[in-house]
Amino acid sequence: MTVVDDAVQQCRDLLDLLPAEALARAQERHPRVAGFAVFPVYAPVEIIHAAGLMPLGLFGVGNKLEITNADSRFQSFICSIAKSTLELFLRNEMKGFTGAVFSSICDVARNLASVAGRNAPGMYLEYLHLPQSSPTEACREFTRSEFRRFRDNLGARTGRPITDDAVARSLGLYNRVRALTRQLYQERRHRPGVLSAAELFTVAQACTRLMPEDAIPLLEDLAASLPMRKPVSRDCVRVVIEGSFCEQPPIELIEAIEAAGCHVVDDDLVVGWRLFRHDVPAGPDPVAALADAYVADSCYTSVRFNAAQPRTTGLLRRAKDAGADAVVFAAAKFCEPALLDYVLFRKALDEQGVPHLKIEFEEKMWTFDRLRTEVETFTESMLFE
Amino acid sequence: MMYAAGIDVGSTQTKAVLMDTARGVVARTLIPTGANVKQAGQRALDAIVAEAGVPRQSVGYVVGTGYGRYKIEAGDAQVTEISCHARGAQMVFPLTRTVIDMGGQDTKAIKVGPEGNVLDFCMNDKCAAGTGRFLAAAADVLGLTLDEIGDISLRGTRPIRLTSVCTVFVESDIMSYMAQKKKVEDILAGVHQAIATRTISLVRRTGVEQEITFTGGVARNIGMVRALEEKLGSRVNVGPDSHYMGALGAALFAADKVIAQEAGAAKVVGEPVAWSDGQ
Amino acid sequence: MTTGTKAPPVSATVSAPAKPSASAARDYRGVVHDLSKTVMTDWMNQLQAAVHDGTPTAYLMISGNCVEILRCFDILPVFPEINALQLAIRKKALPYILKAEEIGYASDNCAYVKADMGYTLSGGVGEEGTMPKPRLIVCNFVGCNVYIKWFEQCAAMMDVPLTMIDIPFVRENQPSPDDVRYVMAQLRTLIEDCEKLTGRKFDIDRLREILAYSARAEEGWALAKSLCRARPSPFDCYFDSINMMGPINALRGTKAAADFFDGAVAHYQKMVDEGVGALDEEKFRIVVEGPPPYPYYRNFRNLFEKWKAVAVQSTYSTVGGTWEFGFRHDPERPLESIAEQMLMHNLCNRTMTERYAQIRAYVERWHADALVIHSVKSCRLFSAGQGDMREYFTKELGVPTLMVESDLEDPRYYAEAQMKNRIDAFFESLEYKRIREGAPQPAGSQP
Repeated sequence: MTVVDDAVQQCRDLLDLLPAEALARAQERHPRVAGFAVFPVYAPVEIIHAAGLMPLGLFGVGNKLEITNADSRFQSFICSIAKSTLELFLRNEMKGFTGAVFSSICDVARNLASVAGRNAPGMYLEYLHLPQSSPTEACREFTRSEFRRFRDNLGARTGRPITDDAVARSLGLYNRVRALTRQLYQERRHRPGVLSAAELFTVAQACTRLMPEDAIPLLEDLAASLPMRKPVSRDCVRVVIEGSFCEQPPIELIEAIEAAGCHVVDDDLVVGWRLFRHDVPAGPDPVAALADAYVADSCYTSVRFNAAQPRTTGLLRRAKDAGADAVVFAAAKFCEPALLDYVLFRKALDEQGVPHLKIEFEEKMWTFDRLRTEVETFTESMLFE
Repeated sequence: MMYAAGIDVGSTQTKAVLMDTARGVVARTLIPTGANVKQAGQRALDAIVAEAGVPRQSVGYVVGTGYGRYKIEAGDAQVTEISCHARGAQMVFPLTRTVIDMGGQDTKAIKVGPEGNVLDFCMNDKCAAGTGRFLAAAADVLGLTLDEIGDISLRGTRPIRLTSVCTVFVESDIMSYMAQKKKVEDILAGVHQAIATRTISLVRRTGVEQEITFTGGVARNIGMVRALEEKLGSRVNVGPDSHYMGALGAALFAADKVIAQEAGAAKVVGEPVAWSDGQ
Repeated sequence: MTTGTKAPPVSATVSAPAKPSASAARDYRGVVHDLSKTVMTDWMNQLQAAVHDGTPTAYLMISGNCVEILRCFDILPVFPEINALQLAIRKKALPYILKAEEIGYASDNCAYVKADMGYTLSGGVGEEGTMPKPRLIVCNFVGCNVYIKWFEQCAAMMDVPLTMIDIPFVRENQPSPDDVRYVMAQLRTLIEDCEKLTGRKFDIDRLREILAYSARAEEGWALAKSLCRARPSPFDCYFDSINMMGPINALRGTKAAADFFDGAVAHYQKMVDEGVGALDEEKFRIVVEGPPPYPYYRNFRNLFEKWKAVAVQSTYSTVGGTWEFGFRHDPERPLESIAEQMLMHNLCNRTMTERYAQIRAYVERWHADALVIHSVKSCRLFSAGQGDMREYFTKELGVPTLMVESDLEDPRYYAEAQMKNRIDAFFESLEYKRIREGAPQPAGSQP
């Protein structure tokens, strides 16, 4: 097995675990560290890490746990991630976690935070209001105050005030994780075949289940080994995957997209954990620096309104920068932000003559034949034009 | 001697039960509902009266239930099948506290009081099929009849997983498993488990209390009985006539009326009367 | 939670009726319905006229809105939500929903958005249509995330400037001073946008006058709702409350709306005095959670009336504001009180568990027998988690609770037979319980 295969396999193993098991795995290296779950899309993980906790991405449970309790609380028209996340709380599967943080991404996530809190007494569940406005001074001030509130609440909860120095240190670590991830994305884009989309997705998601101290060497080894892999050239359509910013698709879906003849050149998978375009300089006030980066230096997502950066422009630029031929719009079933955004995305793509395909996924998908047929038909229509 | 009748007009079948004032079943019948719902109710009533060999005038009260309950012209009152299944199940299995009723288009979980009264109930939400209709769709794709699939499912050792319990997608899901050369028994075992899982979460909403009685057309499917028992971790009561439960409950409500009439009182406080006005 | 613990301003005396009603007749399509229709029609006529006469108009959302600021500049408010509602209640929504689905909206998207967008794309808005094209789109993002997308899409499709007002969700017990500052800063931006649009200077004294009318209407709203504590309740606080929701949410800040409430309260007070209820007989008192199925409004109402069940309170009526719990706009603190109302004193910007407390207060203080949850697919703000709400009320509080499902806009989600079955079974069990307990009707309680 090569270094790359080995690293990807490690990541895949990590994703097969329930959150509490992933935490237990981390505790082997970081004895007794408590977990703090981060519901998508974004939260300032640096503050959590600086509190001496392990920030851990809470992306539902995929198909690893049967839903037997949560669908009595959330109706059939609610997305999988909300149900499976609640299932974890209802079944007391969040042992070892101090709490979790949710944010103002959609109506379901907001109600989920409240319902999960009611059913998990003793846990600290935080809800962040991330701004939905243009990057004005008032917006910046508000976001700083919101991040400070989180810092103070978290410090009060652990009984250890969170210092600026600690946040600055954590910020340095996460800057490095994000920079390495950006580097892998570049490699994938420019050297087709050295790292598949399924592999990169696995790695990026696994990094949300690792302490940054442990993610960095893994990513560094990977980056160092990629030059050994040979690019493959085959007839492919270069695509951007859009719409998977919150609930993550089954890995088989990404594999099916690739098998159907797509070379994924960019995507918004796990986007909240790699949101910043550049390293965030800690400066004298690292919490404010993080808030400012969120306001002014983060990439667009479907869960944020920003008049200065319309999402349609964002998608067109993403596709252009990546040299994409087409966009595959992959939305979680019942995901209102993604499905509503599709309307303007579709209009903008049509106006620019960029072909696009819309597919929907959910956590409990077991067969991908129908989906592969759809994508194949789409790529064929482009390749044999 | 006066009698009471209960008629359950369902979407595919109409069932009727005739009862005496000692609450003993005198006659019963099952006929296809057909296109004319009104006639179905009347035909079923005629059939039980004929079978018992009693005059029509001796039937003192008729309660209709099921989706066609308001279409029964002979009906003196209408009661939902939820109340009827609770009442019927309690008569057959007196210790019943939870009723799972699975029919063609609805699955219901009913929490029952000691007298067969409804304490709480939940029904499947609109698009989450997971009902008899879903089983029928699955049987159809496999070219089997509804009566055989339960037995076959019991032979499955490695149940497949279904993406959803949506009747629309079950066909393509099953077809792709067939293309993968999965065994029919494993596919069917998966189908039954998927519905059982769905049903358990419905029952959790009202609370699982012993004893549990399984009623409705699907209760005749042994595969579903076993799948439910496995998920619940306990036995469920299934009577040989589980599909008559609604008509039986309706007859019990009608018998209350006849008994009260004979006792000379219009309404006896304490008798479980739960009438709608037949609007 | 503050909403649940603060006593509603219930008062036994009502000021002299402004418009004494002739008789205390039943209210369905009765006196208050007519009063409401008069003021609402007047506003609709203004909207019609504005299609051609160039009156400045602005889009606004219902929940926790800041209509007073628009009014201060004589900008006519246009509410796409009311447009969607009217299409549904007139059974005209489906073709527009389908039209929207043609351009990419999903079957799982909010049908309010789809009906309104379909209507807009079919030429219903603008010179050729019945609704004026807005000159400004003001998105008061109060709780509902769909609002943002909806108005962003309106702005993009019609090429109209958009002003976003980002209202922080109430995530601790109350808004922080920083939350209030943030909202105030955005309100000042809105004022600048209105100045630019109309070429007029902001007049704070004018705003104070408008807010005084708002406060008077809010007082009437609270009084009317408190009268539903009487047995029998003078009106159905779910189905009839739409008569009051139009004036309070869309016309708030006008003299007409304030007068409307004086008339409504006088009428309801008279009904209570004479012991006249919303129905001939009031057998069950219910609290209703969730928006109504507008495409089948009358049909749905009949299913409850048949059982002589009257809603004595409802959460849907508080999407605009929870005035029955005491909040009033304050002319002495104009912008602050507008900000506070948007942040705190409406249903939409508060957590699910706070909604549980609100409903619990309704059940207890309005003497309800049961809770009915109408779960609508379109509005996940309302519906996501209502299964947990049911769990809380049945298992922890022992309040009989029925949950039924359809939609507020899309007629395809209403299955009458199923609906009827569930409602009948629920009231059968309540009736049984009542007979069993031999419970006489609890003694009448006057508010």
